[in-house]
Amino acid sequence: MMSNEKKKRAINRLKTMYPLRNLIDEMYQRGVEASKIGKPTAWSMVNWWEADPILKAMDIEIVYPENYGAVCAAFGAAPAYLDRSDSDGFPTHMCGYARNCIGYAARMKDLGEIPPEAPMGGMAKPILLLASGSLCDARYKWFQALGRYLDAPVWTVEIPHPGVEESFREGAYESAINFMVKELGEFVTFLERLLAKKMDWDKLAEITDDIIKINRLWYEINELRKARPCPMHSRDFWSCMNASLYPAGDPKESLKLYQDMYQEVKDRVENKIGAVAEEKYRLAFAELPPWHDLKIFDELAERGWNFVIESWAYHPPKPIDTSQVSNPLERIAKETYQWFTGSFKGALKAKEYMGYFAYPYLEYARDYQCDGALLHPLLTCRTATNHLMLVQDRLLNKLKIPSLVAEGDIVDLKLFDHADTMRKAETLEEMMDHYRGVRREEGLEW
Amino acid sequence: MTKVVIMGRDEKICARIVGPTGAEHRRLANKVMEEALEQANLSFNEISCVIATGYGRINVPFADRQITELTCHARGVVSLFPKVRIAIDIGGQDAKGLKISNGKLIDFVMNDRCAAGTGRFLEVIAAALGLKLEELGEISLKSTNRVKISSTCTVFAQQEVIQRISEGIPLEDIVAGLHDAIASRVAKMVKRLKIEPDVVFTGGVAKNAGVVHALKENIGGEILVPDEPLLTGAIGAAILGKELTLKAVAKGETIQRKERRLEEATFFNRGN
Amino acid sequence: MTEKERKGLDRVREIYQDRAHRAKELKAEGKQVMGYLCLYPVLEMLTAVDLAPYRILGDMEEPITKADACLPTVVCPFIRSALDLGLKGKYDFLDGVVMAHICDVGEKTSHIWRTYLNPSYFYFIDTPHTVHKAAQQQLKEQLKDFKKTLESFTGRELSLDKLKQAIKTYNRQRALVRELYDLRKPDPPLISGAETLQVMVALMSIPVDEGIDLLRQVISEVKEGKNGPPKKPARLLVWGSIIDNTALIRMIEELEANVVIDDTCVGSRAYFPNVELTDDPLDGLVYRYLVGLKCPRTFRESVFGETKKDYIKDLESRFGYIKDYAKEWNVNGVILQSVRYCDIHGYEVPGLRDYLDHIGLPNIYLEHDYSEAALAPLRTRAQAFLEVIG
Repeated sequence: MMSNEKKKRAINRLKTMYPLRNLIDEMYQRGVEASKIGKPTAWSMVNWWEADPILKAMDIEIVYPENYGAVCAAFGAAPAYLDRSDSDGFPTHMCGYARNCIGYAARMKDLGEIPPEAPMGGMAKPILLLASGSLCDARYKWFQALGRYLDAPVWTVEIPHPGVEESFREGAYESAINFMVKELGEFVTFLERLLAKKMDWDKLAEITDDIIKINRLWYEINELRKARPCPMHSRDFWSCMNASLYPAGDPKESLKLYQDMYQEVKDRVENKIGAVAEEKYRLAFAELPPWHDLKIFDELAERGWNFVIESWAYHPPKPIDTSQVSNPLERIAKETYQWFTGSFKGALKAKEYMGYFAYPYLEYARDYQCDGALLHPLLTCRTATNHLMLVQDRLLNKLKIPSLVAEGDIVDLKLFDHADTMRKAETLEEMMDHYRGVRREEGLEW
Repeated sequence: MTKVVIMGRDEKICARIVGPTGAEHRRLANKVMEEALEQANLSFNEISCVIATGYGRINVPFADRQITELTCHARGVVSLFPKVRIAIDIGGQDAKGLKISNGKLIDFVMNDRCAAGTGRFLEVIAAALGLKLEELGEISLKSTNRVKISSTCTVFAQQEVIQRISEGIPLEDIVAGLHDAIASRVAKMVKRLKIEPDVVFTGGVAKNAGVVHALKENIGGEILVPDEPLLTGAIGAAILGKELTLKAVAKGETIQRKERRLEEATFFNRGN
Repeated sequence: MTEKERKGLDRVREIYQDRAHRAKELKAEGKQVMGYLCLYPVLEMLTAVDLAPYRILGDMEEPITKADACLPTVVCPFIRSALDLGLKGKYDFLDGVVMAHICDVGEKTSHIWRTYLNPSYFYFIDTPHTVHKAAQQQLKEQLKDFKKTLESFTGRELSLDKLKQAIKTYNRQRALVRELYDLRKPDPPLISGAETLQVMVALMSIPVDEGIDLLRQVISEVKEGKNGPPKKPARLLVWGSIIDNTALIRMIEELEANVVIDDTCVGSRAYFPNVELTDDPLDGLVYRYLVGLKCPRTFRESVFGETKKDYIKDLESRFGYIKDYAKEWNVNGVILQSVRYCDIHGYEVPGLRDYLDHIGLPNIYLEHDYSEAALAPLRTRAQAFLEVIG
């Protein structure tokens, strides 16, 4: 870190990013402290704003074992938890975050308290495990499996995963929203029983509104990145996404910080300031980055690589107007469903049937005028990996955009091969140069 | 390695053979058997029961029964250490953990998918270092500053070791690191059985004092090693054979299912 | 039609050897054949519009080549194999395909299948994750739409009467499968696990009415008890992910064990749950296909909206039926098996083992990668397990 500090960095980071990033770091400590004074804690997972606003409105402190998996990996605490999960008989091919969490829970059960070695104060004992079936079925199976170690009940929030064409069939949209709203209603009733208190619907409406505002702003910030040169690098996206995605901290505070960020990015666009000094190549990244080796992006930036768009699953929904919807649960349902299906129209037109996860990259590549993509399959995360070969094939064959596959994992940090990736990067540069010509010949815009 | 034990009713060993299993030997169990009979000064007709165990158990056409090495190891270890609760066996091709209660095998874990965590790992790396397998244990005990081998795969570990050598790290520290790598891998697997004393360590790798030391550290407790750690499986097989025979005799039955002939394994007579 | 002359288990073996033969024949006769993946597409609806359902399976003996280009190697090898066969044109005889949100990899594969193979009919049923009332309603709405697409594809009406008729026919087939499974209750069982599996594969390859005839022949042949398996000390239940090839069960049955009951999806999971004939037949179908089917892909809680979690009660509600199987079929050991990279089965393993330990049933977990060659090391584990329980 120190030597990087001295050297002029190749990536021009946004100043407004730092306070947003700090929000997440404060989250764990706050969670532990809150539970010490008797505030109920829930373990939750990325649920794309479907459950978290409800938990927040019920005044439940939320911690995120997925995010905590990344924390444990970064602090070197993960191997011991993974070993524990393995020795308890969970197959080793399963999700690294899940196994880390299972090992952590097992150890917490043994000790009867937060393990002393747990990084960042650890995760407090939960009164509820809030699972989501969204994008990854391994996640609710994981929380269900935690029953071995925790006596907290599990609730799984539902989100429909329709096929592209099926989603446009008559009545499909209404049915999907109706389903979500009903389930969320049941969820609220359940929470009211669990906590023996009533939902404050006004509070929920307000939080929901704040989160939608955050997401709108965050969306607009990312829209600004279509400019040449791109004013904001993927690293800034990853540093700031959690305040939207989880959403960590006080939404009003996050909103203000995103407003500051919007200004900074807009200023850069107006003054043609790029996130890398000389933008030679514009790239997309899928899915989660190699957290422990983010410096690779600095090295690539030195070669003129600017990462202009990334990680479809962590982006906010395309804007829709739900301001006239009075029931906050319906607003939540519509926004989350929009996040999932927002690219389906284009996908159907393009006859691309993996309308989420895969097709959005085609959209991105066109809208952000990408020259290439860096795809990062994760050994134990099928969700982030399943679609990447399809993405690679479609990018090349439909849009003449070459990509590079560099394998890694979410917690087994040794898997990502920095040197090998840098070597391959040179080849990708040659391909990116070549395919510029091909795209021009084929009449593509960039 | 191919091992043969011939045992009398009094559980006294009258022949013991330990030799490498070549590609040819896989078919030639009869030859090894002849050698053992010679050592015991017995004729084949005098053997009341033949038990085949281990990977090659299907290649012994003259065996009366095939019993897995897990059961045989457990029985052999129990005969040597009646108080055993956990037996760890690391051989050339696999590693096993056995949980034993009241002298009986009740649970087990095994690794036979991957060379790391088996004797093969040490063989490959000893060869890369130009050392003899038998030398590794002694060398590693001199180590004062064990190096951490981070690769979990044999192929990568080999590269890593060569890298360390070129960095000028003392050989003993590297070898000690290798021993720790294999011991921690096996210990991790065996922990699934919930380790309780007495713990007994067998198999070819148990002859390596360095691994014994590292395994003690990794499981955090004492470990017992028999004098002939390679023979426990064969001893167990012989004892099980004796027990089966006595049971059959008591019932007035015969243990032999078919006529036994000392012949080579062929496609047709392989046991299945 | 000489193959039709073969009967009972001979016919089963013949179909097992060349699964697609009958479907291709039907197609030549002008019948439309509809492929489906896993258990969640509603077969009664296909049959009710006179389509012949045909289950898409993998092939353990065929090396995966083409699927390597569209599905990474770290996902379910069964699904990879099925997609591979599709990409190689081995399912080209299908007139269309129905897929569902079975598991995430299955779901993704459905979309990949459609993108690359572009079948003339395709429908994706988004099976919900939970079994709550709202989830049942959501599935029902989709089935209404599914019905419309089937009608417009075939140009035939899917009438209530035909649907009720189809439900009855399938229930009759399911009852016969139960009857066949009952013949595994005696000791020794009258039919081996490997042969039973062949029967199941055959049933999934031919129309339901032909399956009924075949089952009747098989049952009367098995009842004669001429070629049944020998008595062996272990009577096993095999649980887990899909087994569509006899190699694994054969390997187990070559040891001192008979496999007398399974909880897998080319077996009891596919045939034990019946459809209740409800006023609106879709209600019964929804219940059966969402609540009745017991694949770990579905999230279940022991009590809806429970605010306290009791681990044993939770296990009981999820796995209690396995205890019932064990009692009815007099099982003395359980083999849990899964293909590598199957998340939904993987997370279930420690919990199910806890439950089996709790009820005193010895058990072992075997993981394999859906290839016959890789079964050899499992043999030692299986044999040692039998020695432990023997």
